[in-house]
Amino acid sequence: MNDSAAHDKLRPFDFRGSAKEWFGIWIVNLLLTICTFGIYSAWAKVRRKKYFYNNTYVEGRNFDYHATGKQILIGRILIVVAIAVFQLASSLNQWLALGLVGIVIFFIPWMVARALMFNARMSSFSNVRFDFVGTPTRAAIPFILLPFFALATFLGLIFGGGYQLANGEPIGALLILLAFPFVVFIYPAIDRQMKRFSVNNHRLGTAEFSLSAGYWLFVGAAFKAALLLILFIAFSGLVLVFLSQVIGGPFAAFVTEVGDEITLEENWWVFLRNYLATLFVGYFTSVFAALIYQALVRNVVYNHTILGGEFRFRSDISAGGIFWIAITNFVAVVATLGLMLPWAQIRLAKYMADHTFGVAGGSLDRFVSVQGEAGMAVGDAYSDIEGLDLGLPI
Amino acid sequence: MDCILPDQISGRAYAPMSSHQFQAKLVIRSKSDPGADNTVELTNEAGAIVSTAVVSDIKVEAPLGKQPRRLTFPDGAMFETGAHQKVEQLFGKDRLGWLHKLEAFHPRLIGIVLACGFAVWLIYRFGLDVLVAGAIALTPPLVVEQIDRGTLQAIDFQMAKPSTLSAEEKARVEDIFAKLLPHIATVPDGTGFQLLFRSMPGVGPNAFALPGGTVVMTDQFVKKFPEDDILASVLGHEIGHVVERHGLRQVYRSLTTYILVALIAGETGPLLEDVLLEGNLLLSLSYSRQHETSADRFGVGLANRAGFNPNGLRSFFERMAKTGGQPPQWLSTHPNSKDRVTSINGFIQELNR
Repeated sequence: MNDSAAHDKLRPFDFRGSAKEWFGIWIVNLLLTICTFGIYSAWAKVRRKKYFYNNTYVEGRNFDYHATGKQILIGRILIVVAIAVFQLASSLNQWLALGLVGIVIFFIPWMVARALMFNARMSSFSNVRFDFVGTPTRAAIPFILLPFFALATFLGLIFGGGYQLANGEPIGALLILLAFPFVVFIYPAIDRQMKRFSVNNHRLGTAEFSLSAGYWLFVGAAFKAALLLILFIAFSGLVLVFLSQVIGGPFAAFVTEVGDEITLEENWWVFLRNYLATLFVGYFTSVFAALIYQALVRNVVYNHTILGGEFRFRSDISAGGIFWIAITNFVAVVATLGLMLPWAQIRLAKYMADHTFGVAGGSLDRFVSVQGEAGMAVGDAYSDIEGLDLGLPI
Repeated sequence: MDCILPDQISGRAYAPMSSHQFQAKLVIRSKSDPGADNTVELTNEAGAIVSTAVVSDIKVEAPLGKQPRRLTFPDGAMFETGAHQKVEQLFGKDRLGWLHKLEAFHPRLIGIVLACGFAVWLIYRFGLDVLVAGAIALTPPLVVEQIDRGTLQAIDFQMAKPSTLSAEEKARVEDIFAKLLPHIATVPDGTGFQLLFRSMPGVGPNAFALPGGTVVMTDQFVKKFPEDDILASVLGHEIGHVVERHGLRQVYRSLTTYILVALIAGETGPLLEDVLLEGNLLLSLSYSRQHETSADRFGVGLANRAGFNPNGLRSFFERMAKTGGQPPQWLSTHPNSKDRVTSINGFIQELNR
């Protein structure tokens, strides 16, 4: 009974895009992008964002994206030129390269703040624009300072521990062992600061978003992801042992060779198997752990965000669900040489919307726009090319 | 004088600069004067006028899929409607109407898919080379010189020690190098050939070339392969890398591919992004193997012209092949030694013809 009462107040997110329709837009985007050597990609981005925003509805009102292809293109040209100059200049001299890296690091908080602002001001819900009021100085704390100190400590523990071990000091093992809990406890703290910076500085018109999620909720997500990672590695280890002991043959050699130093003097089959095994266990499991962590943190963020002091949200994505979608989407896209990508994207968007809700609050009629210049799309272009995910979290 | 029969479209609207939503009608009052701009009124359920504007001041969003068309008034009021045809009648065809038509789900899309495949192939086969050649032509010789200096600094800092070869040993190899240089047909602008020796125990017997013309040979190489013919053809191979601009090509090519993949693929979602970049790495390896084969051909030819025995490179790879197995080709920057011996045999036969 409680359940149904709670459901009455839910405002489900509804994604109405269709794979068929998106396929046509996507393939035309692709063709024009290729034919124009990437220039059309700016307009393609606008059409893509518009399609996904427009098709996301809450109570019959949808989102919209307002940037123009020209704005995106100018930002991208500036960034591509900057990257080319940076690459060329840093291949000249290692000290110059070091200096340039310093300059880029200095600019990252500025880029992040600009990207968030541009994207927010170019997005709207129900005829009301979003806004972002975070400053580069504030962005520097979660995006540069905290990660820098954390990484330095982590590497210090790993290499310091390795050095101690190499000199026969058993305390080194302890240092190395400490490095891993460090990740589980420190990374969520940094991530929480990033999310607070992003959410607390967003506005819908004049209404402010605020995130109240505590530190331990983020640690909990990291713990679950780490636990799944360990279980997955243990499971794949068991499968390998089973294959080698019960089936034997080529698999018997596999287990003994994994972890051995790869020398080219052995035959290439050994090299290939070791290469693939390292890739699979080391790489994919960490990608999946990161994916699951992000899904769980999305739940935490949505469930503890309030808009305008009265509108709440709910997200109930499950680790298993997102894992399944990622795996099957991947297989479908690879097996069709990319042709199923639009279908995969629609499927993911539908899944996300199906697990997102607005909760209670008053009428959605009450939001009011404020006017503001969005500025240049330089930060936005930077985040596109560097693959940073800085969009609206819808 | 206003016309008596106003045309109208029904839909939904939002009040200016607000999320307030209401059922609305768009009423068009056409002027009797055919040249004048029509006036449009946005009215609510009660028939009251919320907003007014002339047609040319209203921003009409381009059609996208089956999305309702959106019309924005100068004051920030927004009207949306599914009556696509009426919007088209009143506001005229959109500039991007052809795009919308092209995007519709239709057998024509099969042709577009094929065109995409063909275009990707064209870019991979020719377009990249054109972009890379353009970038190389634009690179000032001074920059290339500096790349040599910078890379050498980094190598000396990280893995090389000063050479321990005797003066005679160095002089002998330098002499071979000097004999080769006059036989190079065309030297790219700003290339300054120089031969340097370094002791690199971690790297073993090896030689490499930097884009500006610096060729580095390890002490370990000179010790293990002291024969003149081998030294000449391996130095010729490295000179080939410089003359054919292989180093610069690889730098520019990976940079261009990276940017194109980022722009063309867009947001691919989790997992796929990582795989695309891994794939890019495998492709660049194949490109590097083509360069090795091309430099082999160059080295054999140059050694031959300078009066050395062109079989030197072959005997070098035959000895390399005996030292042990190798990774499969597609995982390596270099073709395996057996294949290289076979193709070198071909190059030598070409010389004899």
